[in-house]
Amino acid sequence: MKNILKKLSPLALAVLMLTSCEKDYLETAPTQSVASDEVFKTVDGAFVALNGTFRSMWTSMGGSHGHFGQKSHDLTMDLMGTDIVLHTRGYNWFTGEYNLSAYASATDGSRSGLAWEYYYRTISNANRIIANVDKATGNPADKEYIKGNALALRAYSYFYLANLWQHTYKGHETAPAVPLYTEPTTEGKPRATVQEVYDQIVADLTQAETLLAGKTRKHISHLNAAAVKGIRARVALQMEDYATAAAKANEARQGLAPMSATAYTAGFGKANSEWMWGLEIPNDQSTIYASFFSHFDAKVVSYASLGLQKKITKELYDQIPAGDVRKSVFITPGTGTAKLPDYNQTKFTLPVAGSWAADYILMRASEMYLIEAEALARLGNEGEAQTVLNALVQARNPAYSATQTGSDLINEILLQRRIELWGEGFSLLDLKRTKTNIKRPDGDGNHQAALAVVFERAIDDPTLLWRIPQSEIDANDALAPADQNP
Amino acid sequence: MNLALLLLLVNQAWAQSRTITGKVTDAASGQPLPGVAVIVKGTTAGTATGVDGSYSLNVPEKGNTLVFRYIGYETKEQAIGSASTVNVALGVNSEQLSEVVVQVPYGSVAKTAFTGSEATISSSAIQKQQVTSVTRVLEGLVPGLQTTNGGGAPGSSASVRIRGIGSINASSDPLYVVDGVPFDGTYSSISTDDIEAVTVLKDAAASALYGARAANGVIMITTKKGGKGKPRVAVNFRKGVSERGIPEYDRVNSQEYYELMWEAMRNSYAASTNPATKLPYTPAEAAAAASKNIAGPNGLVYNPFNVAGDQVIDPATGKLNPSARLLYEDNWSDVLFQDATRNDLNVSISGGAENSDYYISAGYINEDGIAKFSDYDRFNSRVKLNTAVSKAVKAGMNISATLSNSNGNFADGTATANPFYFSRYMGPIYPVWQRDGEGAFVIDPATGERALDWGVPGQMGSRPYAGNSNLLGSLGLDERSTRRSEATANAYLEAKFLKNFTFKTTLGGNYYNGLGTTFQNSLFGDAANVAGRSTKSDTRQISYTFNQVLSWNKQFGSHSISALAGHENYSLESRFMSATRTGFPFPGTSELAPAATAGASTSYTDEHKLEGFFSQVSYSFADKYLLSGSFRRDGSSRFFTDSRWGNFYSIGAGWRISEENFFNAEWVDELKLKGSYGEQGNEDVENYYAWQGLYGLGWNNVNAPGSIVSSLPNTNLQWEKNASFNVGADFSLFNKVQGTIEYFERTSDNLLFEVPLPTSTGIKSIWDNVGTMKNYGWEAQLGYNAISTSDFDWRVDLNLTSYKNKITKLPQEEIVNGTKKLMVGHSVYDFWLREYAGVDPANGDALYYKDVLDADGEPTGERTTTNVYNEGTYYYHGSAIPKLVGGVTNAFRYKGLDLSVLLTFQSGGKFYDANYANLMHRGSYGTHWSKDILNRWQSEENPGDGKTPRLQNGISGQDGASTRWLFDASYLTVKNINIGYTLPKSLTGKLGGATLRVFGAVDNAVILTKNEGMDPQRSFNGTSDYTYPIYRTATVGLNANF
Repeated sequence: MKNILKKLSPLALAVLMLTSCEKDYLETAPTQSVASDEVFKTVDGAFVALNGTFRSMWTSMGGSHGHFGQKSHDLTMDLMGTDIVLHTRGYNWFTGEYNLSAYASATDGSRSGLAWEYYYRTISNANRIIANVDKATGNPADKEYIKGNALALRAYSYFYLANLWQHTYKGHETAPAVPLYTEPTTEGKPRATVQEVYDQIVADLTQAETLLAGKTRKHISHLNAAAVKGIRARVALQMEDYATAAAKANEARQGLAPMSATAYTAGFGKANSEWMWGLEIPNDQSTIYASFFSHFDAKVVSYASLGLQKKITKELYDQIPAGDVRKSVFITPGTGTAKLPDYNQTKFTLPVAGSWAADYILMRASEMYLIEAEALARLGNEGEAQTVLNALVQARNPAYSATQTGSDLINEILLQRRIELWGEGFSLLDLKRTKTNIKRPDGDGNHQAALAVVFERAIDDPTLLWRIPQSEIDANDALAPADQNP
Repeated sequence: MNLALLLLLVNQAWAQSRTITGKVTDAASGQPLPGVAVIVKGTTAGTATGVDGSYSLNVPEKGNTLVFRYIGYETKEQAIGSASTVNVALGVNSEQLSEVVVQVPYGSVAKTAFTGSEATISSSAIQKQQVTSVTRVLEGLVPGLQTTNGGGAPGSSASVRIRGIGSINASSDPLYVVDGVPFDGTYSSISTDDIEAVTVLKDAAASALYGARAANGVIMITTKKGGKGKPRVAVNFRKGVSERGIPEYDRVNSQEYYELMWEAMRNSYAASTNPATKLPYTPAEAAAAASKNIAGPNGLVYNPFNVAGDQVIDPATGKLNPSARLLYEDNWSDVLFQDATRNDLNVSISGGAENSDYYISAGYINEDGIAKFSDYDRFNSRVKLNTAVSKAVKAGMNISATLSNSNGNFADGTATANPFYFSRYMGPIYPVWQRDGEGAFVIDPATGERALDWGVPGQMGSRPYAGNSNLLGSLGLDERSTRRSEATANAYLEAKFLKNFTFKTTLGGNYYNGLGTTFQNSLFGDAANVAGRSTKSDTRQISYTFNQVLSWNKQFGSHSISALAGHENYSLESRFMSATRTGFPFPGTSELAPAATAGASTSYTDEHKLEGFFSQVSYSFADKYLLSGSFRRDGSSRFFTDSRWGNFYSIGAGWRISEENFFNAEWVDELKLKGSYGEQGNEDVENYYAWQGLYGLGWNNVNAPGSIVSSLPNTNLQWEKNASFNVGADFSLFNKVQGTIEYFERTSDNLLFEVPLPTSTGIKSIWDNVGTMKNYGWEAQLGYNAISTSDFDWRVDLNLTSYKNKITKLPQEEIVNGTKKLMVGHSVYDFWLREYAGVDPANGDALYYKDVLDADGEPTGERTTTNVYNEGTYYYHGSAIPKLVGGVTNAFRYKGLDLSVLLTFQSGGKFYDANYANLMHRGSYGTHWSKDILNRWQSEENPGDGKTPRLQNGISGQDGASTRWLFDASYLTVKNINIGYTLPKSLTGKLGGATLRVFGAVDNAVILTKNEGMDPQRSFNGTSDYTYPIYRTATVGLNANF
């Protein structure tokens, strides 16, 4: 026995030598991702997190060709309004959004579901940046830049959440808006009131404006102080805080003239001098068919050209005077073809043949002129309002001159707003804040029953509110089925 | 590593056991018998004979009798004495338990000594079916096992579940092990002609030694090996032709389609306001408007009739204009699908000398798809070599290499480029080829041939279904292919030393390389405006398993003990790279070099590692009382350092009552009771870095690198545990009946769960160990030798399985997932749907059941109906899990003629047929309709079948997922018919002792389901998709052995 043990011992040793792996054998790390704690060690890392968040504003989501970030929700908000006509059913994208039936669905893949996920993803990434950037090593000015951008993005996201999941601010201040988070968490929260959400938006924008003051932005997709003021003006207009709206819009547009008539017809796919904020999308980062231009540009093979052409209503088209350059970005009635029918838009077209590279507009100076003019008019400062309005519209139509006063002036500004910003995502929120019911013109050249289905709906009709995704209600202990929008 | 040192040690330690070789033949014919179990009596040591009937076996010191067992033959015991060669001839008898040696982790044991649950399929059963992937032969042959049919894509594989659904978010797939090494390649890369046996290990006692990855059972594939003696050549040739196994849904014709669409349009007008009158459309106005617009741009666009578009339908009757004649009707299925050929040739040479044996094989398969432009071809080869260096030392290698190529990896889902989706739902009025106003073909001036119709404004109009596409045109110009090169290389070294010790080390590697191409052509379709788009992707995966096992066997009188201990590590490295470019100057190539514009490109590497230590002890007393136990400890790279190690174990016991002296029931040949319990692990989630908190890279903003948060950390994340209990009996009765009956209970605990988080927190889920789920049920396998004479045999094999799945703990009260809802007390595949209440006879609305609520909002128990879909109440409606699955094989032999028929079936279970639902729409212009739409509600006088609501284009709020589309999933399949004739010796004698068998076979001969077109065996969870349907293959072939 002893002998056996003696013979066995070197063997046992050999087996042991063979059989222990290196201590770190089981440590693996991905190459497509990086550990969270690595990201915020330096400001360079924090910049990576910031740029990723901007990128997430245009990537497609949920495998759906109708979801491509902010511009898909902008398009939805326009389709809910009165001024865009879908030509035919085509590949069926956005038809439910257009006939107002899409918002009844609370599934994760629905319009409501993916919009909810989109905005809260932005907020979560912004919250992580805000919570961690101060601890990063690096230049304090860079930290301010990063934090200012994150705060503004958070405010921007809450602005749309509050407006899509609840009626407009004025008159609904105490109504439930959406859960409000200002730091990273996994604990769900209840719906904060509209007022609470707006308080946060205003606070974030105020802080962002301070942090970004005097800083040069690194890229058109980032926010500078002017763009933050632009968001502030947009928010103030929605809150019917006209003094702030006028002041911030004016500050925001300083040094920015309306683009030229030539630039207006260049397709809105390439940032120009008037752009205050936009997403630059190179060909290799484009989302091809699942993109804004796929749904708008019918000149190329796209969803738009395959039946889903986006047309202006005859009703609005007829209100654009001859000689106004903005009339030229729609197909003149009688000259349409099967691919580019009468009234079809050519405002948004891909800038380069054979490429999906095209930038997304998020804010431009014309909107500031329109906000300022409207706010001044509503404050009773009609002369200045006319001046600001003329400064813009005369760049489109040299013969133009606004002379109206009172509510006529306000209505004229709102009309110019519909014309100037057609297709840029403002319809729904304008109808909401002005308490104007949806009333879609019918007849030839206008909305057709087969697709539009709905011609009239009160703007405070609860069916216009988007649904909280059912999965959110299921997973969030602070929300009950009764918290769902009616 | 230190192999040299080990060899020296081994040579010092002189082996006490001895090696016995020999050959087993058929006593009547003298033909060698492959697959005969050779067991050292009183021990668990055993082996099986090779294709030439020879074997080589290490016999422990005390062993002095060999037992030879083979199905259909008498068992024979042969004393060894001092002989080193023991040849035996077995006489035919049909009184044996089937398959007597069981392949188990790190070795093999006699079935009678085995305390676990397993089932073995022999090569003869495998070769009856003409399949490319071995996963497709398992259905109906193994109790406890449930499979999908794997669809019809050439070269594709079936999915397998052993004893229920093991996990919710982690994998429920079994572990595949080829010749003792976990397999990472594609299943169809293994030639079925190289397979000697497939052993399915089902309970903890059987598979716990593979603890880390065996929670869902193990499928062990053993390849053939050579035997002693002169070279033997086996040739297998098969030629077959395939067609659709599941018919297309029966759909309406062009005339019906136009009338129905008119009705849908008329009803749409009737439900809206007439802008001219500002009043609702009157019935006459609605009919007139529909007749005017049905062929227009907001209607069907195309008009295949010889009258003007507004004249096709008579508004007064809603019927086709009597003078309207159909000008054309093309059939998309006919042009996109084909009868497909299949050729399969495999040749092997095997043999051995005194100290070595070898098996080499090569084969070629060419399999066309039943959809045009899809095919699979494969060249495979294998070399298996074993050699004895000395009496104590053996070494061997097993190398296989496969080259395969798949074409037609079609897009799936609702992508236009998916030919199954495209052809099923394309309205019948839309032609393949462009027509002029008279219905004549339009000639393409460029080619001089008929122009295809792409459904674009420049041709016949903007086709409302799948515009800008024509798959007959584009699929031939596109390329969607994968070129694979795969290899496995297993090498082992085995040494015996001291008394009864064996040390074996095995290094097994898998190599996979797949080059994928997705090319959309530059001329037509999706990528025409960017002049073609090509994506090339390269996946290169290398994995290896390295183990060292020390085993020990000892006899003390009637006691027999065996023990083993070992270590194993596994490593996988997967590299992926892809690049896309657009802008091709010329057609004809998918390579990136000529393309002008860069698209997205990426590359990344993933790693996965496991390490384990294991041991096992088996004890038997007088072959009567059997005990076994095992323990294994595994670590996984998927978990954090402090939580990554899991402990797994099993215990098993068996009692062979029939060996007891007091047991004297003459009619019982063998009776063994067995039971086992153990715990195994599962770490197989799709994410290799499940515990880590990560930021996903590649979210670049133009030229600035970008990243967003992608997962949250969980350092406590650990193994999912699967506790498995098994009790059963193996028996053999009346010299006629053999069988096994078992009850099992599997409890998956600490489920690896993607626990839902509120989406508003920004991340939708976090991996955690929450939840418990049980699978429990019984299974039976029975074999009956009904007739057994020298000229005529008839054998019946039956297996049945029934199990239930029940969730017993969840992270939140309920989780809704598509058509299912997870909830404690329900199964993982319980349908949660609104309940369809049929049609309102007054107006043709679809109705749904709705709970009546009391003042507190609680259901009163009463129900009413609603025509608002969203108001319908959700209820549970049964499970996709069947009540019973099984298979029956009938095998006959009359002299040289043999026939076998395999039936498989499922009884119970539900199937949600969304394919059918989409053919029953309310009137989407352009989309096809099932014939069942003819039974729609039309009026109070003509209410249809009461299930099909009225047509109305654009109707909203009425339709959605409901029990209307939920059907009984029961099916019966004649899975395989194989009829063969073995040429008599008098004919083949001249060929030098060759045996020749010619055969004909039909796979998936008949598939009977509750509804035509439905394919309930598509998935385990009872939902349909738009994928490749299963095919039926008729084959003729030849098996020759020289």
